[in-house]
Amino acid sequence: MTELSQPLLKTSRQPLLGRRYTLELRQQMGWGGQALVIGLAVLVGLALSTAILVAAGVPADQLLEEFVGQTLLDAGNFKAVLFQAAPMILVGMAGCLAFRARFWNLGLEGQMIWGGIGAAAISIFQIGPEALRLPLMMASAIVCAMLWTLAPVLLKLRLKVNEVISTLMLNYIAANFLLHLLYGSWKDPRDNFPYSPAFRPFERLPDLFAGYNVAIVIAVVIMALAVWFISVSRAGLYLRFVDANPRVASAVGVPVRRMILGTVLLSGALAGVAGFIVSAGQEGRLTQSFYQGYGFSGILIAFLARNNPFAAAIVALLVAMLFVAGRNLQVFYQIPFSMVQLIQAILVICVASSDFFIRHRLRRIQAGEQ
Amino acid sequence: MSQANALQLTGISKSFDGFKALSEADFSARWGEVHALLGENGAGKSSLMNIAAGLYAPETGSVLIDDNSVRLHSPKDASRYRIGMVHQHFKLVRPFTVAQNILLGLPEQPGEGSYRKRLAALEQTIARKAEELGFVLDPRQVVETLSVAEQQRVEILKVLLAGARILILDEPTAVLTDQEAERLLSTVQSFARQGAAVVLVTHKMADVKRYADRVTVMRGGRTIKTLDPQGVSVEDLVRLTVGESAALSPTLPAAPGEALLRVSNLTSVAGTGGLKGVDMTLHAGQIYGIAGVGGNGQGELANALMGLEQPTEGDIHLASFGDLRTASAQQRRTLRIAAIPADRYGAALAGSLSVAENFAIGQLHDGRYGSFLRLRGQRLLEDAAQAVADFDVQGVRSLQQKAALLSGGNAQKLVIAREFSRNPRLILVHSPSRGLDVRATQAVHARLRAARDAGAAVLVISEDLDEVLALADRIGVMNGGRIVAEFDCPADRQAIGKAMVSHD
Amino acid sequence: MDLVTYWLSSVPEFAVPFALAALGLIIIERAGVLALGAEGMMLVGALAGIGMQLALGLPGLSLLAAMAAASVVSLLFALMVLVLRINQVIAGLALVFFCQGLTGLLGTLLGWTNRPVSGLTAVELWPLSELPVVGGLFRQNPMVFLTVVIFFAVVWFLNRTRSGLKLRAVGENPQAADAAGLPVLRYRLAAILAGSALMGLAGGFIAVLSTKMWIADMTGGRGWIAIALVIFARWSPWRAFAGALLFGGIEALIPQLAAAGVQLPQYFMLMTPYAVTLAVMVWVAASKRAGASQPGALGEPYVREERR
Repeated sequence: MTELSQPLLKTSRQPLLGRRYTLELRQQMGWGGQALVIGLAVLVGLALSTAILVAAGVPADQLLEEFVGQTLLDAGNFKAVLFQAAPMILVGMAGCLAFRARFWNLGLEGQMIWGGIGAAAISIFQIGPEALRLPLMMASAIVCAMLWTLAPVLLKLRLKVNEVISTLMLNYIAANFLLHLLYGSWKDPRDNFPYSPAFRPFERLPDLFAGYNVAIVIAVVIMALAVWFISVSRAGLYLRFVDANPRVASAVGVPVRRMILGTVLLSGALAGVAGFIVSAGQEGRLTQSFYQGYGFSGILIAFLARNNPFAAAIVALLVAMLFVAGRNLQVFYQIPFSMVQLIQAILVICVASSDFFIRHRLRRIQAGEQ
Repeated sequence: MSQANALQLTGISKSFDGFKALSEADFSARWGEVHALLGENGAGKSSLMNIAAGLYAPETGSVLIDDNSVRLHSPKDASRYRIGMVHQHFKLVRPFTVAQNILLGLPEQPGEGSYRKRLAALEQTIARKAEELGFVLDPRQVVETLSVAEQQRVEILKVLLAGARILILDEPTAVLTDQEAERLLSTVQSFARQGAAVVLVTHKMADVKRYADRVTVMRGGRTIKTLDPQGVSVEDLVRLTVGESAALSPTLPAAPGEALLRVSNLTSVAGTGGLKGVDMTLHAGQIYGIAGVGGNGQGELANALMGLEQPTEGDIHLASFGDLRTASAQQRRTLRIAAIPADRYGAALAGSLSVAENFAIGQLHDGRYGSFLRLRGQRLLEDAAQAVADFDVQGVRSLQQKAALLSGGNAQKLVIAREFSRNPRLILVHSPSRGLDVRATQAVHARLRAARDAGAAVLVISEDLDEVLALADRIGVMNGGRIVAEFDCPADRQAIGKAMVSHD
Repeated sequence: MDLVTYWLSSVPEFAVPFALAALGLIIIERAGVLALGAEGMMLVGALAGIGMQLALGLPGLSLLAAMAAASVVSLLFALMVLVLRINQVIAGLALVFFCQGLTGLLGTLLGWTNRPVSGLTAVELWPLSELPVVGGLFRQNPMVFLTVVIFFAVVWFLNRTRSGLKLRAVGENPQAADAAGLPVLRYRLAAILAGSALMGLAGGFIAVLSTKMWIADMTGGRGWIAIALVIFARWSPWRAFAGALLFGGIEALIPQLAAAGVQLPQYFMLMTPYAVTLAVMVWVAASKRAGASQPGALGEPYVREERR
């Protein structure tokens, strides 16, 4: 006998919370309400983070200065924030895309690594004329990252291999391969440090004007493309069906496997571009830890932005501010960089918890009811 | 049969998310009687009994056991008051044995000994009790390997061994053959003769007339009347259950057109059901109804024809196209095949997406709403609005609202609106009125007839024999994974019933 | 044959963290909760263990501290998945990153990084320890033998006690368990606390008895490998034990090969556990047996559903 799947509306009774209240499923909360709840959650998360920072030794009155003043209002630091925002926006987009295809792409770091390797390869082997070098590096980054993403998505589609584990394992493998290269054949002969030889001037992302780098422009252009893909193109609506209910999507004619494959590869490609931007932009060479922190940041950004590309860009900017402030805190107050990771995790937990309040409503049981 | 009330529910009201499932419902069952609770789908019978079983809490009203008011906060409370419920969907842990399942629900007594000893003792008790009741059950057998009827017996044993004196059975014969149903109901009747109170939740009039001492009719969440089933005719019962007499539109004798779909030797391997070589032909301008007891392969047939599952053998030949099994979902739309599956939110609608989107996906592929590069939202909304109006989909405050908010009937209408938007020539429907009230059912049936009159071939698979009889021009009876008999309408109900239950 | 001897005698030490973490995961997942936070729980256990060891120098107490700390932090996870019913994948990931950040921060701020501690002296199981080649397997620090005892205890609990039956019921079919009157959430909470304690113990073992110091992120992905191990073992404790021995064997092989002078690229050697994990996942998926043994209700939050 065919079993009906439950309609999405369910109510629950939670004896845990005591007899006087009942939890009911809310029918739907408008965008405004959702934004409000998420905003509140973020504030709670920030409050908790502030408490931790103070406990860790940062004077409370300095906090606002560090996070807002030093980042936005100081010209030099603001450029750094924008520079940092570019790869953040890209990994955020990558996260949004993958999650919309119901694919937990935790391999963003590994894909970034291969993006960096791909770009560095062009530099090291001096492929192509000078004028084309940068575009070639970016193309190479995209191709390498996409290839690295191919295995986990095919494994999931064909064999249902859990992508959480497969992408994470590939991260570790990529990281080790990077070390192998940097300690081995790609080590800079000049000073024997584990990084690649410096990129030549024409192999670095140029500043557009007054110290503002072209990286942010690349990121914004790609963001526009992501917005087009998700909100304007037909593929976006297909993707929404895949995200909502893959079985129904397949039944109504959406090319589910093709959508998932394409979207996840795009996600990997974006991470690859992020790798290219960080190594050809900020670092100027391939280093052993250029990718650290971006993996979880991508997930965080996509999660907070509810997979919406516009919101993701804004959240990415905020995370960039967090990163820059975090580095300053490291220098001036000896707060380790894991603080940034902790703050990010707290924010994710707060926002994830707030979803509970979006989905439920607390209702007091009236007198006379059981 | 004493006159004392075993179980009494008075003034019960209950809402789910604003939907009022029960309004001031009353019910009482006496010791020593079989009391039937009769009503259509959605009348509130299961909800009312779930309250008695401690699963839901009522908003108003009270529950009385032996005339004492009680508060039931959980199934455990109900069990303490000796109430036991056998649900429609069994609550069994499939990888466990019969004995382990029953052990789960039994309270722990001090001095019982180790787990193994307790289990062994229980196994003996189970074997003994089963014998008493007249059936064979191996307490060591894993539940997963039992047939549906056997699993039901486990559920009954579970409830009896926990000491239940008030038994509630929710649609117990829905999954049984006629023979098994008879056996079950007479067993249940003997419990009552021994003094227990038995509540039989059902929508089958015949069972009510035959086995119940009293019957309470429910409709729309309310208790309509309690009476002695021997003193009323089936027609009266129907009228009480359904409300106004459902006007049956006269079926015009349809002249069937060319053969559109030929199914031959369709076979699929499945757990308990499966298809074992289905042969049938669908003609344009004809409604072909498939009748049968649930679990004889109807679901598999529907899924195979709709392209949701692949059969292992056999052919599905569509005129002027070829083998339908090779067609993709998009091709099916181009071929003007409409599919309305039984599982609305699992196979037809994406609940978290908007009404407009769920409608539009039907014609998205052929570019009606824009090219790949750009969606034309305006046209999409216009079409959706038109469809919602044409097909009378109610409860749509805004086209952007989530499809999950629609009630069962309106969700079905939305699916139909989408599927019919391309003027289909082949319509496959499975359980069209499951979960729908009378009005919505009539609307759906009218649509199907209209499509037939316009020349489409319609296949209706339904476990509701009345629905099949009302709609079909030709009826095929499914039994044991095959079509065992075919009848032209108007058909002999008895003959159909016989074909449905015969075992050969 | 020296290589083989040394290798065999070092395998248990590498295998124990995998085994304990996998066992903890099995307890939680058999109760129906998807636990991706293993890496985080192990880190918390590791840090707490080192902290206690630096303070008091009693390994037994330090391991207990590791278990307790992990259990306490797991309350956060329990809150997220049992009360707030957050998607269990997200909750698990968030927990891992939370623990990574927290332990990294505390480790540095409290100055516990890179400070060596003394471990435990090995215990001999005479006369087995005198056997040639395999004798080394029976000359281990006591925690190794304790791990075997813990395995027996947990297997006995799951399969031979009423409470174990109830726990498994909660994981297979929470509706049935609820209808039988079992407090589903309470069982899951207990499972989370107990399982996390074991994962914390695994981390504590690595830090206090194996590496004997705290370094940020020192578990290096072992938590994730343990998760893969559980799938590979189809949620059976003894199969997980065997898998842990396999992975322990691989990890133990790396330093032995290097010591033997075998010239293999170092970083490719370090890749091996992860590559093998990936291969194992593919093999399990391809042989299609995993799905059948998965606890029926794994990953779905339980709500006493009310239907229309």
